Amino acid sequence: MMGGQGRKVCKGSGDRSAYVLLCLLLSIACLLFFPVPALAGSVEEGGLSGIVRISDLVENMEEYDGKTVSVEGEVVGDVMIRGEGAWITVNDDPYAERSLEEGGEFAGVSNIGIGVWVDPDMAREIRHTGDYREKGDKVRVSGVFHRACRDHGGETDIHALSLQVLKRGYTFDRPFDWGKLAVALVLLVSTALLWRAREKVRRGRRKRAAW
Amino acid sequence: MILRPTREDLKTIGWGVGRVIFGVGLLMTVPLVTSLICREWNVALDFAIGIFACLSFWLSMEILCPVKRDLTWFQGLVIASGGWLVAMVFGAIPHWLSGHFRSFLDACFDLMSGYTTTGLFLLQDLDHLSHGMNMWRHLLTYAGGQGIIVVTLTFLFAGTSGALRIYVAEGKEEKLLPNVIRTARAIWMISLTYLAVGTVFLWAALLKEGMPVGRGFLHALWLFMGAWSTGGFAPQSLNLLYYHSFLVELITLVIFVIGSFNFALHYAVWTGNRREIYRNVEVRSFVTTLLLGTFLLTLGMARQGVFGDLTMFFRKGFYNIVSGHTTTGNSTIYSVSFYKDLGFLGLFSVIMVMAVGASACSTGGGFKGLRMGIIFRSMRQEIRRILSPESAVVREKIHHIRDIWIDDAMVRAAMFIVLSYVVIYFAGGILGVAYGYPPHVAFFDSVSAGSNTGLSAGLTSPLMPTAMKVFYIFAMWAGRLEFVSILALVGFAGVLVKGRRAKHA
Repeated sequence: MMGGQGRKVCKGSGDRSAYVLLCLLLSIACLLFFPVPALAGSVEEGGLSGIVRISDLVENMEEYDGKTVSVEGEVVGDVMIRGEGAWITVNDDPYAERSLEEGGEFAGVSNIGIGVWVDPDMAREIRHTGDYREKGDKVRVSGVFHRACRDHGGETDIHALSLQVLKRGYTFDRPFDWGKLAVALVLLVSTALLWRAREKVRRGRRKRAAW
Repeated sequence: MILRPTREDLKTIGWGVGRVIFGVGLLMTVPLVTSLICREWNVALDFAIGIFACLSFWLSMEILCPVKRDLTWFQGLVIASGGWLVAMVFGAIPHWLSGHFRSFLDACFDLMSGYTTTGLFLLQDLDHLSHGMNMWRHLLTYAGGQGIIVVTLTFLFAGTSGALRIYVAEGKEEKLLPNVIRTARAIWMISLTYLAVGTVFLWAALLKEGMPVGRGFLHALWLFMGAWSTGGFAPQSLNLLYYHSFLVELITLVIFVIGSFNFALHYAVWTGNRREIYRNVEVRSFVTTLLLGTFLLTLGMARQGVFGDLTMFFRKGFYNIVSGHTTTGNSTIYSVSFYKDLGFLGLFSVIMVMAVGASACSTGGGFKGLRMGIIFRSMRQEIRRILSPESAVVREKIHHIRDIWIDDAMVRAAMFIVLSYVVIYFAGGILGVAYGYPPHVAFFDSVSAGSNTGLSAGLTSPLMPTAMKVFYIFAMWAGRLEFVSILALVGFAGVLVKGRRAKHA
């Protein structure tokens, strides 16, 4: 029984202002605690000799932040020219050596790469980028690693100082898979036979229903 | 007394599942055409094999399982939950044949992740994947967002009342239109319209950011599919980090926020009821929990001090928390950054919003805003009841398309589902800890899988233990179907073994 005689009925619907107030308070709280640069760790400039693995860079960002590092790997995807620079992606996972499409072995990991900001001259050096058909150029990039780049909205990136193409990429051929074609044809025949059988069964059912 | 399912029950279920698989086969024609256009012949063969396998199964079911009667509720529930499992196996055929998976289980994992719009993946060497396979990954998450059953309903069921039963069984209760088939088609109309508009915007943005025309279009289409369906897939392994673009991030953010809203809300706004946006309980719940999460994230980020200005905060903090809240999983930071750069509070806030999730009857997962609204209002009702005179009748209502008074049954149902999610989240977290993963990583990925989000703190990989892969598949599936259909399937299996045989008249 809801709301019998002589009882006071309280409805909880007139609360728009309370809701707006709550949203406002939470927004102000966000602004109050907004991350300030003063809290940010200072960037130490310096160089590191030798090639650094990208997984190592990503796992130990704080250690490498602001330092000059060198990475080696395959350029994959696109060269995106943007104003006075360009973005490339360099992968140094096992598939950068030999991709699965090219007949590489399973490594049990996904790709590991990093965005590199290069100048247009360096970008022009790149002719092949890795994808389904292509083996990308293998490059060595030396540049400053940023855990949260101030120039690029907090991106984790490397600003290249130099780029060297170690090995030119290429378009690779793959043999046509006749085995798959045979399986597809067998399944096609089975589908056709099943279709005929189904039509026969349906006709039979229709006949029985008519009787 | 529980009766064992009759032969007729089994036939009806077989017939329904067959139709679902036919729907999967139809979907595969899109990546088949893509691979033919891109001259990826071996990939085209993978899809041809997949299509013929689906057609063979469907035709076998049509022959073996003729149906005379309409579906019952129980059959609808079993078709929905079982259909998803069988669809996973058939959908995984092109994945497996692509040679990018170490095992068929890994391929099934990615399929379930796609269908359930989760976005976690075990596929290896994504950066060298073909266009055809990328189209399939994104298409299945786009179709999964609407619901595999909705796909099937739209084209393959002819106006039966049983259609409503499997529609509801897929975790969707909203009927935008009186007829469920028309509702399914309305959901598709909404999604396809947004697909056209969103792809054009993203394509323009990608061209501006330096991508070539052809690849730019495909990436725009796939990014839209991933964002709208709140799946979070992207064609490159760096996800949104690959594009280094504020504009692309902004557009995808708008897309996944819109995609996370209830289809009923979309329909209300489309039909002129714009005020519904401000009044709807799910929108209010979303804004409140998002602000709360953002507040905690801000505290965490302030403590870490890695991202120091408003742009960084938006792109590396806010974007990811909205992505988590809408259960999308698009990400602009590396996995390790979730705990290294956002701090403990930041990580906790992302876990919290992922657990809460998006709207009911949307492409998203998690508890859902509607249930949060119901539970919050029922708690408030209890407090008001305590504070009110004994004779007072205290009632609360929520606004979701119309005003709805909250009753005990509604609260009980909401609590049951929320509790089920919590159990799944904890079970996955504890399993991860048992396998030796750090607790924050184990719980982050577990909540991500159970809420169909797809963000990862680094646990999900092809090398994770098989038991965890199986559990995550279960968590994604159960989370997407919201448990009831799963319980029906378990019950079905139980009575199949132990139920009493029905006496024939």
